[in-house]
Order: sequence, then structure tokens, then C-alpha cells
Amino acid sequence: MNDQMNDHVHDRMSESATFTEQLQDRFVETQKSLPGAHESWVRVLRKSAMDQVVSQGMPNTRHEAWKYTDVKKYLDRLLADSVEMPSLNVSEEMLTAFSFDDLDSLRVVMIDGKVSQALSSLKNIPAGVRIESMADMFAKEPDVIEAYLHDQHVSGAFAALNNAMMSDGVYLEIPDGVVVEQPLHCLFLSASGDSASYHIKNLIVAGECSQVTVIEHYASIGESTAFINAGTDVELHAGGRLEHYKLQQSGSKEVNIGSIRVHQHRDSYYHSHSVAFGAALSRRDIHVEMNGEGAECALNGLYLVGGRQHVDHHTRIDHVRPNCRSRESYKGVIDGRARAVFNGKVVVHENADQTDSAQSNANLLLSDQAEIDTKPDLEIYADDVKCAHGATVGQLDMKQLFYLRSRGLSEDEARNVLMFAFADEVLTAIKVPQVRKYLERIAFEKLPHGAELDGLLG
Amino acid sequence: MLKIENLYASVAGKEILKGIDLDVKAGEIHAIMGPNGSGKSTLSNVIAGRDGYEITQGSVIYKGKELLEMSPEERAWEGVFLAFQYPVEIPGVNNTYLLKAGLNAKRKHMGLDELDAIDFMQIVKKKADLVELDHSFLSRSVNEGFSGGEKKRNEIFQMAVLEPDLALLDETDSGLDIDALRIVAGGVNKLRSPDRAVVLVTHYQRLLDYIEPDVVHVLADGQILKSGGKELALELEKRGYDWVLQEATA
Repeated sequence: MNDQMNDHVHDRMSESATFTEQLQDRFVETQKSLPGAHESWVRVLRKSAMDQVVSQGMPNTRHEAWKYTDVKKYLDRLLADSVEMPSLNVSEEMLTAFSFDDLDSLRVVMIDGKVSQALSSLKNIPAGVRIESMADMFAKEPDVIEAYLHDQHVSGAFAALNNAMMSDGVYLEIPDGVVVEQPLHCLFLSASGDSASYHIKNLIVAGECSQVTVIEHYASIGESTAFINAGTDVELHAGGRLEHYKLQQSGSKEVNIGSIRVHQHRDSYYHSHSVAFGAALSRRDIHVEMNGEGAECALNGLYLVGGRQHVDHHTRIDHVRPNCRSRESYKGVIDGRARAVFNGKVVVHENADQTDSAQSNANLLLSDQAEIDTKPDLEIYADDVKCAHGATVGQLDMKQLFYLRSRGLSEDEARNVLMFAFADEVLTAIKVPQVRKYLERIAFEKLPHGAELDGLLG
Repeated sequence: MLKIENLYASVAGKEILKGIDLDVKAGEIHAIMGPNGSGKSTLSNVIAGRDGYEITQGSVIYKGKELLEMSPEERAWEGVFLAFQYPVEIPGVNNTYLLKAGLNAKRKHMGLDELDAIDFMQIVKKKADLVELDHSFLSRSVNEGFSGGEKKRNEIFQMAVLEPDLALLDETDSGLDIDALRIVAGGVNKLRSPDRAVVLVTHYQRLLDYIEPDVVHVLADGQILKSGGKELALELEKRGYDWVLQEATA
């Protein structure tokens, strides 16, 4: 029996070794064509990141952080060639489905992992603000981004793989004191029907007391089976403010994995909204490091999944310095045989006194086969702190349901209203009304029973 | 309008209602009084259609139809309204939305056109003024963060908008100060008409100073032990319930 088990483990290990070898072969083949190949620091960064992938291996369910999320059956997609030319000609009209009503925004569109200058629209950018393609930055101004990327120590094989293979993405730089009124809408569209992987890298550098809203939006046209592995790095200088939306509206066969890493300097404010509706499997790792006193962050999240979808959020907030405040609220509605995972870690470092942290995760399970694995996780090494956390899993409240029905709402309508109200609490934190409305519409359409939404959305 | 015959109901195997008979005619106001735990709230909940009650015997005929076979929403469409003893807070659901959805569902059931937004708002504002409910409450979430008195007033406001034919008020007077009590009573009296009936479930007589009942019933241990005119309420106020219980067992 024991021997058998050992054999089994051995098989899986050798299998995964083979896979990382293949991945490395692919890396060696493509690295010369990856942007920044002429720069030694970029080559070193990519090489050491790839070494990390090989030594660590791709995640499997024996890794604590991936215990509930099995990516195995999708990994082969990472070996497929990326699409050289988009197979679908994306027109301006096709983008209207992914735009926010009359919102006056700056827009960068990426099709299958490449920035499309033709579809992007960058008018009236305030002086000094830079919005560029990362591929261009690697090619033309690698020294500008070096400080933020060259000595990155990332945790996790996907983040490392992202550093090894990153090809394009959005670079945003805001000078000190500049307020960018128009939100920057970064639309990452999958338009190819092929299995392909995209290692998108975004970099946001917000200067002192600057202010900006960034919408990182993943969606697809047609039946994409893409494997997206994105990495977004944020440097938020003293007093800087970032409203960061991550909208995951990927196609039902896609895999969307990514990490967001945020460095906060003193008195900066980071507000993240992570909304996940789509994909066969999606996972976000959000890591916020509060490195300066007086920093504040708020992480909001909503996941609405059904069928056999799988959605995973892992967040980590590091209170490194005193007097920082963090708030986290994630909510999920899980239907069918879908599975959701939430892991929220808060680490209060030694001397990070006067830390004020609160976290909650609430879930609604709509079917017997739906599943949620939720784990709040607190590590406190300072004395004078205020930390709260809690997780709930439940069904609809029968008292509320009866109340609504007694006023004349049908049972289906009452259920929809309650589910929507539950989810909408996260969406009400969204500060751009057009974005909120867009998401509310999708959220409502995702709910079962299909009641009318006019009136409810006001 | 409402005829209850030999109604038995239990909760989790425990029998609460033990053979209730009640006949409420259009235009009448009935008060059901009784000590705590007598089954007053169970009776209101059973009429409104709340889950969790097992009806073991009897019938509840409303306008000639068996109410017990209808869903809670069908009862609402047919004109039954329950003002809750403990109104439920529903964060994220707008007060006005709830009323609009409820009223339009009822109108649809009655074969009437849905009200447009402007007509609806006019009605809503008028009715809010009737119960002296500040208009800011209209755009707030249902009962969320309302004080006890505000919740009760909101119930009466909803009743005024939905214009039921049969209104059940389950201890709506409990916990109200005298001003709120007057407002609640005013709302009920405005609803009073030859086509409508009201059943007031209450623990105290003082509500009946403002709403004059046609019939007063004493409910104790799941049965109506005594019925009489409004003077019965005064007697209960003076002498308590014990004498009624003694009289019944004698």
C-alpha cells in the first residue's frame, strides 16, 4: 500500500518536472523575442524568475495556497504558442459591449496580449502623465521601469512565470501632485479562439499626492480558451490615491490568473475593487504592503459564479508601519456546482502599533452542490492593535423573504431582490457611477430567476 | 370578509392554535387581545402565510376563497396585509422599490395597468405625509437603521400605499410613544371603509382609545375565550385577563 502511494507521488512529481522542463524549453525558445531582450537586467530578471518556476514547480493541490484550486488540467495551455496575429478583427463597435455608457475615460485596449494603438484612445492626458505600452517601455526606455521591476522577489509560481514571460501591458506614470480626472480603462480582450497564454504586465507608478482611477478589465469576444496570467505592480508614493478596479468578465472557457502587488508609502490610499463574474477558473492574489505610516487601504470584492466555475481570491495585507488602516470586504454568491475560495491574510508586523484592521467575507450558497472555502487569517506581532475578522456562509434569510412576499413580490422576484441586495453592497462602494451601473446590470443578469431589473437599479 | 373556522396550528410539533373561530365582516374593526404566548402572533402569521406553521385542522375563508391554499404573495394581491410585530430590516432594498414592485404586482393581478413612476411617487409622497414619515425614508433601505417607532410607522405607511381590504396589525402599538401611537391610529382610521376590515392584535387597551373596535376578542391558550363590544377592552384593562380564564374553565 505504502509503495503504491509512493509510486503515485513519484509519478506526479516526475510529471510536473516534465511540465516545468517543457515550460523552460518554451521560455528559452521565446525569450529572445520577448521585449527588453537587449537589456541585461531584463534578461537576468527573466532568467531568475524562470529558475524560481522550475525549482518551485507549478502549483498543485498539495500546496497550501492552492489546496482548493486545481489548475492542473489547464496548464498545457501555457505551452501553446501565443497568437501572432489576432484571428478576429476587433472593431470599434465590438468594444461598446465593454464600455461604460457615457463615461469619459482614457482607454487602452489590448487584444490577445498586445496593445492595439488603433483601438486605444488617449486624448487630453494631463501634462506629465504617461500611458504607454509596456512592450514599448522595455524596448525604448527600460531604465525608467528598472527600479520597479529589477529586484522583484515574488511569491508563487504564476507571479514568477509572469516575470519570466511578461510581454506587454499598460504602463502608467503620474507625476507628483497631478490629479487625473478621467479614469483609465484598460481593456484586455481575448479575441482568438485558440488556446494561448498571455503574460500581461502592468505597472502603475503614482507620484506623491497624485490621484487616479484605473479600471483593469478582462473580457473576451467569442469562444476563447485563453490562459491569462497577469501581474499588476503598483507603487503608490506618499499621499497618492488609487482607485483600482479589476473586472473579470472572461469567457466561460478561459483561465484568468493574476496577481496585484501594491507598495504603499506614507499617507497613501489604495482602494481595490475586485469583481469576478466569468472564466472557468479565476484566481487573484492581491498583496498590499503598507510601508509608510498613515497609509490606508480598502479591498472590496464580489464574486458571482455558477455552473462549474471556480473562483479564488487570496489577499494579503501587510501592516509594516504604525498607524495604518485596512478594510476588507468580500462577498460571494455561488450557484450550481461552482466553487469559491477566499483566503484573507492580515499580517501586523512588530512595531506596527495603532494598526486598525477589519476584514469580512460573506457568502450566499444557492445550491446544495455549491461550495465555499473561506479562511480569514490573522498574524499579529504588535501589541497595540485593533483587528477584526469574520466569515459567514449562508442561504437567503427566510424572514426577509417572507416580508417581501407579504408585500406582493413573487417568490422568484423576492429571491432575486435579496441576492442582488446582498451583492450590491459591494458595488455601492464603486465611485464611478457608470462602472457601478455596468456591473450591477451584469450582476443582475447572472442571478437566477431572471426578474426585471428596472426600478431596482433606480 | 374573513371567516376562520375551527383553526388548529402548531409550530415544531407544539400546538399553538386550538380551534379558533372568527368572523370578520367588511367595514368592521376587530381587536384580538390576550396575554403573552396566547397565540396572537401565530394567528396573524398563519393568515398572512408565513412558513413554519403546520395547519392541522380548520379553514380560513377570505372573500369566499380558502386563504390557506394561497402563497403569501397571492394573499397580498388579494388584499391581505400584515403589519409586522417586528418589521424586518432589508439592507440594500429600497423602500420605494419594494412598494412599487408590490403595488404593481397587485395591480397586475387585478387586471389594472402598472402605475408610471410619476403617478406612483405622487401616491407615495401623499401617504408618507399621512403617517408623518419624512420623505428621506423613501429612498432608504427597508427598515434599515430605523428606530422602533419609525419601523412601525413604516408598516402603516406601506399599508396606506397598498390599500389592503384586510389589514392585520400585529402589536403595531407595542413600544410606541403617544405621538407615534396617534399617527399609527390615524393611518388605520383613514383606511377605514365599508369595504375593508381591520384586525388589531394588541396587548394593551390604549390603542383602542384611538381606534374604536366593533368587536373585542380575548385569545388565550390558543382559543378565543370571550368576545364582546369595545367595553370588554376597558374591562380587561381594569381587571386583567385572569377572570376571563377563570370564567372559561368554570
